[in-house]
Amino acid sequence: MYQQLAWILTVVLVFALAVVFLTIARKTARRVDYQPIQEKGYRIRKYWFISLVSVMVIATFFSLRDLPYHDATAAAATGAKVVNVEGYQFYWKLSQEEFYVGEPVQFNVTSMDVNHGFGLYDENMQLLAQTQAMPGYTNVVDFTFTKPGKYQILCLEYCSVGHHVMVKEIVVKEKGGASDGQN
Amino acid sequence: MAKTETTYPISRATKKGVVGHLAVAATVLILMMAFGIIMLFNQGGLITISPDLFYSIMTVHGIGMVGMASLGGAAIMWYFLCKYVPLNPKVLMTNLVLSVIGIAMILIAAFVFKFSDAWTFLYPLPSVSAKQHGMAGAMFFLNGVLFVGVGFLIMYLEIGRKIAKQYGGLMNGLGWDMLFGKSDKHYGPPAAVVASTMVVICNSTAILAGATVIIMSIINILNPSIVFDALLAKHLTYAFGHIFANATIYMAVVGVYEILAKYADRPWKANKVFLIAWNFSTLFTLMIYTHHLLMDFAVPKWMLLIGQIFSYANGLPVMVVTAYGALMIVYRSGLRWDMASGLMFLAMFGWVGGAVPAIIDATIVVNHVMHNTKWVPGHFHIYMGLGVTIMIIAFMYYYNKVEGNRRDHSWDRISAAFYTVFFLGLTGSFLYAGKISAPRRWAVHLPEWMLSDIVGGISACFVLAATISFTLRFFANVKYTRTANTTEEMVHDTTSLMKKSS
Ligand code: HEM
Ligand SMILES: [Cu+2]
Ligand SMILES: [Cu+2]
Repeated sequence: MYQQLAWILTVVLVFALAVVFLTIARKTARRVDYQPIQEKGYRIRKYWFISLVSVMVIATFFSLRDLPYHDATAAAATGAKVVNVEGYQFYWKLSQEEFYVGEPVQFNVTSMDVNHGFGLYDENMQLLAQTQAMPGYTNVVDFTFTKPGKYQILCLEYCSVGHHVMVKEIVVKEKGGASDGQN
Repeated sequence: MAKTETTYPISRATKKGVVGHLAVAATVLILMMAFGIIMLFNQGGLITISPDLFYSIMTVHGIGMVGMASLGGAAIMWYFLCKYVPLNPKVLMTNLVLSVIGIAMILIAAFVFKFSDAWTFLYPLPSVSAKQHGMAGAMFFLNGVLFVGVGFLIMYLEIGRKIAKQYGGLMNGLGWDMLFGKSDKHYGPPAAVVASTMVVICNSTAILAGATVIIMSIINILNPSIVFDALLAKHLTYAFGHIFANATIYMAVVGVYEILAKYADRPWKANKVFLIAWNFSTLFTLMIYTHHLLMDFAVPKWMLLIGQIFSYANGLPVMVVTAYGALMIVYRSGLRWDMASGLMFLAMFGWVGGAVPAIIDATIVVNHVMHNTKWVPGHFHIYMGLGVTIMIIAFMYYYNKVEGNRRDHSWDRISAAFYTVFFLGLTGSFLYAGKISAPRRWAVHLPEWMLSDIVGGISACFVLAATISFTLRFFANVKYTRTANTTEEMVHDTTSLMKKSS
């Protein structure tokens, strides 16, 4: 969702920028006095500044309402299932590898050697959530699976030559049933 | 109107130093682009190299490109700044010599001792690798980076000292005397001085942070019982990496100010708004490296909020003042577009264009699903490849024109068009890969990511061809410049300099 939004916004805005730059670049041939251009330019700039700041304030307001930062003590209150995740060169160790749809899970992520990155991917290889796995620290990712299936954990922080082999599969099942969700 | 500044002539020694910087930068650029193509074709499955070699190449490409951009940016900044502030050209040469030694050490580390811990060498990775494969690689690499850093630090000390002397204090380089009412001038110092002051402040801080974390790593390698906090090390690493990489464009933009103003024959003066913008740029650039730590949930929340909010704000000075000013100054100015003016203008588009996906990614909720995907190299390749690098190439053309009376060839314009279109293709392929969640820094890719790698790799071949053309044209013409320095002379000069200092 955010990926899609970021992509569309970027393509549209960069295209708009290109149009502006090209338009101005084509309007350089005839020379006129700078003074009136400056006066008008500064007036337009005021509105440009105000609109940019407004967009930023609005984006900040909405985007800060749903931060992914949760603290480790929350599980006790919410009754989430706590899973310990440890990164090693070059594999993941999880205290649990099977989960259920609808059940809140709290991944407590750390590393036992160098920095790694805990990246949770769905069946379509879309990144759903992440945090850093840093030696000496435990970072918490709260996640509730909404669909059954096979999920993967990929390493998202460069950790030396085996970085790309740090993939771990986990399974999410339909609640209560024995079904693996595939059929 | 304020009276115009006195200007100093550019000495022969200065020109040698400037050409030396450009020559090294251009050579490194071509080599690193070739490495970039190898990486993409490996990720795209067209060729196969071992992961060890891939990551060594990735390490060299990262540090080499940042070093290339710094050298090129320094050449531009120095060339224009020394018109307003007398600078000692020996310092420029010293920077070049130390950088070349540093680059050699980095290449030895990567290709002889298989160092592959990335240009960000995140602690404790170098010491863990040193335990596994011997410490030579890490030692060559870390000390090589230190050499480059020391060269730049010496350069910034010289620049900072001279600006302070000329304007009665370093902060007056950012127009503090005018902003805070102690001066009745309408304009601050020349734009080149303002930008240089900002870079001196930011990048000296960056280099000190970098030197600290490098020394921490070295201590830990030599004596593994002395350990450091991994999060503190990461703070220092990104305070270094973010600022150092960013400073490249703040150095190079001096060329935009000077060249567009000259071509448009309009003054680009440091009025109040301009000075305020640069003061905020200085402050924000120092603060916002925490956007690299948004996924380190252990960092205090307020720091991460600073990372988001001030990364947004940091877009304002460039979007509202610098890029906007570039549009204004060329508009109906009657200026002639050639390689120098055209590419400088294009580079402003590259800068703002790169800021768009960067700002989006600095939003914490977006970062949560895009951090360390290909989106990240996607945005900084726009800003570095279509921003800084283009400014350096524009300056190479400007230099040959002004110093050697050389004219553009239609071939140059074709190369420029190819470079622009295919670099957009390359960065588009990176951003797209980021959109589909392809991780960055993976030697081997899944089949679903490979198409974007191949598109990127093929685009990059055209970019490389255009860059080779720019560079050949630069070298072919620079011989005829009034500096008339041959490579032998340069080698002779640098060796005699080294002899003197040893
Ligand atoms: C032909 C042009 C270029 C190509 C083909 C290219 C290719 C690449 C590739 C494939 C990567 C690794 C992506 C990954 O994480 O999977 C990369 C990383 C990088 N590139 Fe480039 N690049 C080019 C130009 C540039 C330029 C002009 C600069 C800067 C001036 C630059 C700076 C960097 C940096 C700093 C990294 C990060 C290295 C790391 O992740 O450790 N590149 N590039
Ligand atoms: Cu990894
Ligand atoms: Cu940054």
